[in-house]
Amino acid sequence: MTRNTTRRRSVGAVSAAAALALVLTACGANDKDDSATGSPAAAQQGGTLHILTSAPSINWDPATSQNLAITTLGLVERRLTAWQTNSDGSTEVVPDLATDTGTASDDGKTWTYTLKDGVAFEDGTPITSQDVKYSVERSFAPELTGGLSYHKSLLTGGDDYAGPYDGKTLDSIETPDDKTIVFHLDSAYGDWPWIVSMPAFGAVPEDKDDVSTYTTTPVATGPYKVADTQEGTSVTLERNDAWDQSTDEARTAGPDSVVFELGQDESVVAQRLIADAGDDQNAFGATFVPAAQLAQVQNDANAKERLVTSGPGALAYLAINTEAEGLDDVKVREALQYAVDKQAFQVASGGAIAGDLATMLITPGIPGREEYDLYPAEPSGDPDKAKDLLADAGWKDRPLRLVVPDDAPTRAKAEAIEQGLKRAGLTVKIVTQPAEVWTQTVTQGDGSKYDLTLSSWQPDFPSANGNIQPLFASSQIGDGGYNLSRYSNADVDALIEQATQETDTDAAAALWAQADRAIGLDAPVVPLIYTKNSFLHGSKVQNFEIPDFPAYPNYLKVSLAP
Amino acid sequence: MTLDHADELVVPEGQPPSATGRRTFWHRFAQDRFAVAGAVTVVVYVVVALFAPLITRLLGVDPYTYDLAALDATGAPAGWGGGISAEHWFGVEPLTGRDLFAIVLMGSRTSLVVGIGATVVSMFIGTVLGLLAGYLGGWVDWVVSRGVDIMLGLPALIFMIAIGAVAPESFPRLLLLVLVIGVFSWSSVARVVRGQALGLRSRGFVRASQALGAGHGHVLFRQVLPNLAATVVVFATISIPGAIGAEAALSFLGVGVPPPTPSWGRSIGDAVTWFSSDPMYLVFPGLALFGITLALNAFGDGLRDALDPRSGGRQ
Repeated sequence: MTRNTTRRRSVGAVSAAAALALVLTACGANDKDDSATGSPAAAQQGGTLHILTSAPSINWDPATSQNLAITTLGLVERRLTAWQTNSDGSTEVVPDLATDTGTASDDGKTWTYTLKDGVAFEDGTPITSQDVKYSVERSFAPELTGGLSYHKSLLTGGDDYAGPYDGKTLDSIETPDDKTIVFHLDSAYGDWPWIVSMPAFGAVPEDKDDVSTYTTTPVATGPYKVADTQEGTSVTLERNDAWDQSTDEARTAGPDSVVFELGQDESVVAQRLIADAGDDQNAFGATFVPAAQLAQVQNDANAKERLVTSGPGALAYLAINTEAEGLDDVKVREALQYAVDKQAFQVASGGAIAGDLATMLITPGIPGREEYDLYPAEPSGDPDKAKDLLADAGWKDRPLRLVVPDDAPTRAKAEAIEQGLKRAGLTVKIVTQPAEVWTQTVTQGDGSKYDLTLSSWQPDFPSANGNIQPLFASSQIGDGGYNLSRYSNADVDALIEQATQETDTDAAAALWAQADRAIGLDAPVVPLIYTKNSFLHGSKVQNFEIPDFPAYPNYLKVSLAP
Repeated sequence: MTLDHADELVVPEGQPPSATGRRTFWHRFAQDRFAVAGAVTVVVYVVVALFAPLITRLLGVDPYTYDLAALDATGAPAGWGGGISAEHWFGVEPLTGRDLFAIVLMGSRTSLVVGIGATVVSMFIGTVLGLLAGYLGGWVDWVVSRGVDIMLGLPALIFMIAIGAVAPESFPRLLLLVLVIGVFSWSSVARVVRGQALGLRSRGFVRASQALGAGHGHVLFRQVLPNLAATVVVFATISIPGAIGAEAALSFLGVGVPPPTPSWGRSIGDAVTWFSSDPMYLVFPGLALFGITLALNAFGDGLRDALDPRSGGRQ
C-alpha cells in the first residue's frame, strides 16, 4: 500500500515523502564499493541532513503508519526484519531486531523469531519479545486505524481481535521467553518475512504507550530519536545512544542529526535543491520533482547530476467505479480502455522520464509477471473503437465525475484523461477536492460520490500479492480500503485467496498472473503508466540511491560529505 | 476586492444631466487620453470575448485539443518562446500542447462574465440597501450600517475559498463565483449610496414631491435614484477589475471554474511553477489580466473625473 503521491497523500505521503531522504549517492570516495557489499561502516559520519517534504506532519505511530521499511520510520523504529538495498538495485529482506528472517515450521503456518542481544529502547531498557507482541497487538485496536493490515487477516484469531486496550491478548502470538516470539498463521504464507518488516512489527513498551501522543513521541529503537517537534514546521532527530551499529546491518546512520522540514511546496523544494545553496546542499526532497522542474533540471547540467530517477515502480491507473450507473456494464468499461489517451497522461506526468506506458496490473520487476495487453491500441487510444463499444452497450450519455485531489500535477493528469474520453463522446466532469476529502470520498462510504478517480499504487513488498490484493479483493471496498473500483468478483476473490496461500513461489506467481488477467477482462481500471519517481538531492548528500523496488530512496543509508 | 474609492466619489447632485451637461461630460472625457485609451481597450476586450469562439474557430485552434507534437520529450513546449509558431501564436501550454492563444482568448469570457456578473450583483445589493438606509434612516439605517461594517471587516477571500470548497459539486461553478464575489463586495457601494441618499433626502425637490403626497416608492425610484445613477455607474466600472482579480485569485488557488474551462487565474497559477523553463506561459495570461484591469481602472477614473469637475486632476 504505499502510494504514490497521487494517492493517499494525507496519510501516505507523509511516510513516503519523509522516507526518501537519506541515502547514498555516488559521491563518497570510499563508500561506493562498501555500500555494494552492504557494509554499514562505509558511510561518512556527521552533519545535519535536511529532508524536505510536503507532508504537514509525521506519524510515528507504527500501528497507523504505512511507511516503507527504508523510509522515515525506519530511522527511529526497528522491526523484526529490515530491507537491505544493494548497489545492483536488488532489495532483500534481512534480519533487524531478530537474528534471522524467520524460521518456518508446521508447513509454513508457524514462524519463529529470536531477538538479538544488545537491542534496546532509547532509555536503555532491553527490548523483549513481549514489547514486539504488544506492538503487533495494538495495531488491531479500532482506535488505531490506517496502518498496513496484511497481517491482520493472516494471524489466527486476528479477524476477531480488537487490540490490547480492553485487556485481551492475541493468543496466536506466543512469547515463550524474553527473546523468542512465535506467530501462528491460519494458512501458510511464504512472504511472511516481508510482512514482519512492516512498522507494526517493531517494539512498543506497554508502559510508555499513549494512543494520543505516540504519533509524535515514539520510543526509539533505531539510530535516531525524536528530539524536537515544531508542529507543521519541522521534526528534528538526534542520535539514539542506546542503538548499537553492530546489531544493525540495514542502517548506516551517517548524519548526526536529521531535520524534516514539513509542509514544503513541491515546486519550491525542487527550486531550492536546483539552486543548491547553503543548508540545501545537505538536503534532499522527499517529494517527487514536479513536471515543470523536471523539464528545467533536464536542461541544467549541474542539477541533472543530482537528479535520481527510479525504475518503473507504481502503477498509475484510472479507477472505474464498477457500482456506478452505466459503469457496471463491462462493455462500457472496455470502451473506456480504448478511449483513454495514455500518451497524453504520460506527457502530463512529465514525459518519458515520468513513466512507461502500462497495459496490465502487476508492475515490472515483480516475479512471475507475464506481460499482456487485452485492449491493444495506439498509445493515444482508439476513440472510434470506444464509440462502437459504447453504442453496443447502449450508453446513455451522462457526465462522469472524475474526482481527484486538488493539486496542480493531478489536475493536469485529470485533464489528460478528460481530453481522451471526450474524443469518444464521453462527458467528463472533473471534480477537485482537498486531499483529505478526496480520500474520504473514494475509500469510505458507499462510493456514490464518484464515477472515476486517478490513483497509483506501489506494492508494499515485492510480490504480485501487493499489486493485486489491496486493489481488487472485495474485502478492500470502502472502510479505508483501496479497492477504488469497488470491484467484486467471487472467482477473483477465490483466486487471490488461493494464490496467497500457495507456498511454492513459482506456483503462486502463476496464480497471480492468472488473477491479473482475470481482472483485466473485467476492466475495472485502466492501467496508465508505470511511474518513475524522480528525486533531487543537494551536492553534499551521498549514498542517495533508489533500488528497483521500491521506487523510493533508501533513507537509512544516506550520508553527508564533510 | 473592494476598491475603496468611496471617499473620492462626489458626483454632482440635482437633476439628471441636461443636454448641455452631457456635452460637457463628453468633452471632458475625450480630453483624458488615458481614459479614452482605457475605454477603447475595454471595448476591444468585450468584443473579443463575445466573438472568442468564432475567432478561435476561424483560426482552427481551440483551448481543449491536445497537441503533443508541439512538446519536447520533457513535456515542455518545443521551440522558441514557449512554442510560438504560425500555428500557435502565443505558443502552447506545457504538458498538454493546448493552444495558449485560444486559452487566453476563451479565458477572457470567464473573467468578464464573472467580473461583470459579480459587479451587477454587488451594485444591486449595495444600491438597494444603501438607498433604503439613507432615505429611511432610523433602525433600517442602523441595521444596514452595521451590516456594512461587518462585511468590510470579514476576511472575504477566506470566506470565498471556504464557500467554494463546500458548495455542492452540482451547483454551476460560474454562477457560484458570480454570487460569492458579488455578495462579498456590496458593502462599499452601500456606504457611498447611503451617504448620497442621506444628502438628497433633505433636498428641496424631494421634500416638494413628498409634500405633494408622493409615496416612498415614487420618491425613492423617481426622485432619488436617478441622481445616484452616475455614482453607481462610476463605482461599477471601478469594481469590475476587482471582481476579475478575485476570480483570478480564486482560480489561482484552485477553487475557481473547474478545469479544463480556460481561466487566466488558473493559467497563471499553473505557469508560476514553469516560469524558469517557459516564461511565456506566464506572460500571456498575465498580460491579458493586467491589460483589462488597467483599462477598466483608467476608464473608471476618467469617468469620475469627467462627471465631477471638482475632483481635479487631469483636465
